[in-house]
Amino acid sequence: MQNEGNLMSLLPLLLFMSAMIGIGFYVRHKQEQGGSGNFVQQYFIGNHDLGGFVLAMTTVATYSSVSSFVGGPGMAWKIGFGWIYMAVVQVTAIFLVLGIFGKRVALLSRKFNAVTVVDIIRERFRSDFLAGMAAFIIVLFFCGTMTAQFVGGAKLFSTVTGYSYEMGLLLFGLVVVVYTTVGGFRAVALTDTCCAIMMMIGIVLLFSCVLDAGGGYTAIMESIHANHPEMLEPLSAGNMPVGLYLTQWLLVGIFTIALPQSVVRGISYKDTKSLHRAMIIGTVVVGFMNIGVNFTGILAHGVLTGSLESYGGVDYIIPKTIVASMPSYLVGFAIIGPLAASVSTISGLLIVASSAIIKDVYLHQKKKEGKAVPDKKLRFLSMLATAVIGAAVFFIALTPPSLIWIINMFAFGGLETAFFWTLLLGLFWKKANRLGALLSMGGGTLAYCVTQFLGFKIMGLHQIAIGITVSLIFFLVGSYFGKPTEREVLKEFFPEA
Amino acid sequence: MSEKEKFRQICREAGWTGAALAALIVFWLFAGFGLKDSSIEIFHMPLWAVMSSFGVWIFTILLVKCLTSFVFRDMPLDEKEDSHAE
Repeated sequence: MQNEGNLMSLLPLLLFMSAMIGIGFYVRHKQEQGGSGNFVQQYFIGNHDLGGFVLAMTTVATYSSVSSFVGGPGMAWKIGFGWIYMAVVQVTAIFLVLGIFGKRVALLSRKFNAVTVVDIIRERFRSDFLAGMAAFIIVLFFCGTMTAQFVGGAKLFSTVTGYSYEMGLLLFGLVVVVYTTVGGFRAVALTDTCCAIMMMIGIVLLFSCVLDAGGGYTAIMESIHANHPEMLEPLSAGNMPVGLYLTQWLLVGIFTIALPQSVVRGISYKDTKSLHRAMIIGTVVVGFMNIGVNFTGILAHGVLTGSLESYGGVDYIIPKTIVASMPSYLVGFAIIGPLAASVSTISGLLIVASSAIIKDVYLHQKKKEGKAVPDKKLRFLSMLATAVIGAAVFFIALTPPSLIWIINMFAFGGLETAFFWTLLLGLFWKKANRLGALLSMGGGTLAYCVTQFLGFKIMGLHQIAIGITVSLIFFLVGSYFGKPTEREVLKEFFPEA
Repeated sequence: MSEKEKFRQICREAGWTGAALAALIVFWLFAGFGLKDSSIEIFHMPLWAVMSSFGVWIFTILLVKCLTSFVFRDMPLDEKEDSHAE
């Protein structure tokens, strides 16, 4: 590991981060000039204004986290092509959520003036308790995920540049909190787009440097054939069990359609043409990133020829590859990609977490009391909520809990368990009712958390399998025994009824 | 398009998206586990490795292209234009 910092390698990153802040203030300025319009709509969802390209990029960037850039390709280095085979299931993540929920959520949100996924759940099931629970789950799990992103980004930063972990955290952590707070959703979407582009450039850059440093594609592949033949098998001589493939399909494939941070993007786009375009662009981009970054991980065998232990574990493979294969003036560019993955996920989650507190809890409470909140106060409180959540997560990340990576995947599964059936059945099944949703979200999430903490698994599968199954059973039982949904609600949600 | 027609169309689209997922899973199984014993190599990669990465990716892009061209339809999202500006 390098010990002294390298200022050269910091410069591109500093420029990039300044640009992000610039975008935040620019968006803010634009919106204040525009003047008209509802602040909450503007700040939390960007006034239904996204085009296809930005919609695709923001969905992909929020979804792709720093672990897909660091831990993932590190595993590909260890496992081989089986890891790409597994990672490639993420091509489903964009077209599924936009294809299934995109239009449904867009129409409903306009009908009810909804800004968040929780708004829609509240309208559908007419339950404040359910909405409160949903908002709580979002804030809790999002904070876990955001902390993991901060920690992952800062660790990578210190390994590659030689500067301290805290300095990295300060540099990009503060930046993301500032631009999200200032610019709201619109700034998140635009910066996400820049981030996604930087991620792709970063991958291409690293890929070509690795090829160069490793003596060319043919040489690297021949060496893998000779020294690591198991990397050319799907099961990688037992390193890659079938159960892991199945888990991947569930955890980062099919059930990702219920992630509130993805579904909320269905509220944000302009017209259906944009949605259709985003489905294609998003699929192209997410496939490019996943295959590109993991392929680079495999080819890094040409650069890192020692044993896994000698590099300090899977998480250090990519940082060490960057350092070993790139000239120092390029290192600063290479590190932007993974850090962009990290900040774009944080910003996307931060704005949704803030909307859960302001829109789903605070504003709803005021509305129930019949009190109007002046625009100025609302503006202040919204930004305050974003800043406070951001700062809280930032401080947790300064002294990170040791189980941080587990928390990341844990949060992913928890959100999916909580929201999958409630959204899918709630929006497409007339018989879905309040009791079903309450039991499903509460019981399923509880079952998921408890089995996680006990380490209890069925057939070696990740606990998402248990959570989702319990959640479904509860939903069906509740829908069968509970009171059917009121007629006037059904009429709004299912025009045929 | 009336509200009713929009709803029907949305359900149709969601259903076909689900069907596309099923088709993708079948292709994915075939591309990797189905081809793993083939001795063909492309660019120094075994056939299954090529098909299960680049193959799955391209297959999905084509699938989504089919969805958006043949199943998905454009529809206005605002029922009442005036309620939009409020």
